[in-house]
Amino acid sequence: MTAVFYELKNSMIGIAGLGGLGSNVAVALVRTGAGRLVLADFDIVEEPNLNRQQYFLDQVGHHKVDACVANLNRIRPDSDLVGHKVRLTPDNIPAIFAGCHIVAECFDRSDQKQMLVETVLSRMPDTAIVSVSGLAGYGRSNDIVTRRIHRRHVLVGDGVSGIGPGIPLTASRVGVAAHHQANAILELLLDGDLRSLWARRNNGAGI
Amino acid sequence: MHPTLRINGMEKQFPQDRLPKTLAELLAELKIDQATVVAEIDGHIIERKNFAAAALQPGQSIELVRFVGGG
Repeated sequence: MTAVFYELKNSMIGIAGLGGLGSNVAVALVRTGAGRLVLADFDIVEEPNLNRQQYFLDQVGHHKVDACVANLNRIRPDSDLVGHKVRLTPDNIPAIFAGCHIVAECFDRSDQKQMLVETVLSRMPDTAIVSVSGLAGYGRSNDIVTRRIHRRHVLVGDGVSGIGPGIPLTASRVGVAAHHQANAILELLLDGDLRSLWARRNNGAGI
Repeated sequence: MHPTLRINGMEKQFPQDRLPKTLAELLAELKIDQATVVAEIDGHIIERKNFAAAALQPGQSIELVRFVGGG
């Protein structure tokens, strides 16, 4: 097993929100060999979600957590998946994602993104966060970039393309951002300065 | 001398005695919605509930990360 797969197998990654970003990040990480995912979303699959989210028509009406776990288990049943059907708040985030090396911010609303990033950065000193701002529309693939904002914060997106009248969310552009996010997570897992943080917490075991 | 703040890596100069007193005042002046921004002063995260209490001093380094919707 090469180093990247060993690190990923021994990692614990949280995914906050299982919509267009989260459902795609989860699939990419499980295909790559993620050992443990903590998945959180309170929502139910609706038909319009199928335009960009990794669910199937026969899963409409199911909880996204259940549908996502079922799909991931069909891809690769050896990942350890923990689901939480809950609305995330500053009070429950540290407990739900306790032990996660990285949390992926996969929310839709800007104020929810703010709440999650602020909570992880201020209350979870051993956890990094990869968030997204600016992915609406289509085309302009190369405007979506990955930037290191803070030692524990990586930001993906073009920074400006929010949802609005006549600005759709597309499977293609949301997919570009989601895969930037999954790719940034792999990069962080192998990054020396964060590995020292995690080695301390884990007493040297795993990453 | 005019007071300055370093905002996202850029020096911003304010008129004499017009440095915003708090982070909340700075965001209002920049017309940034508090609900969509994660803020740091000199590398320390300031929680949104404390924006109005976070006093600013000339020369500080402020990082503002703004979120737009979509996911």
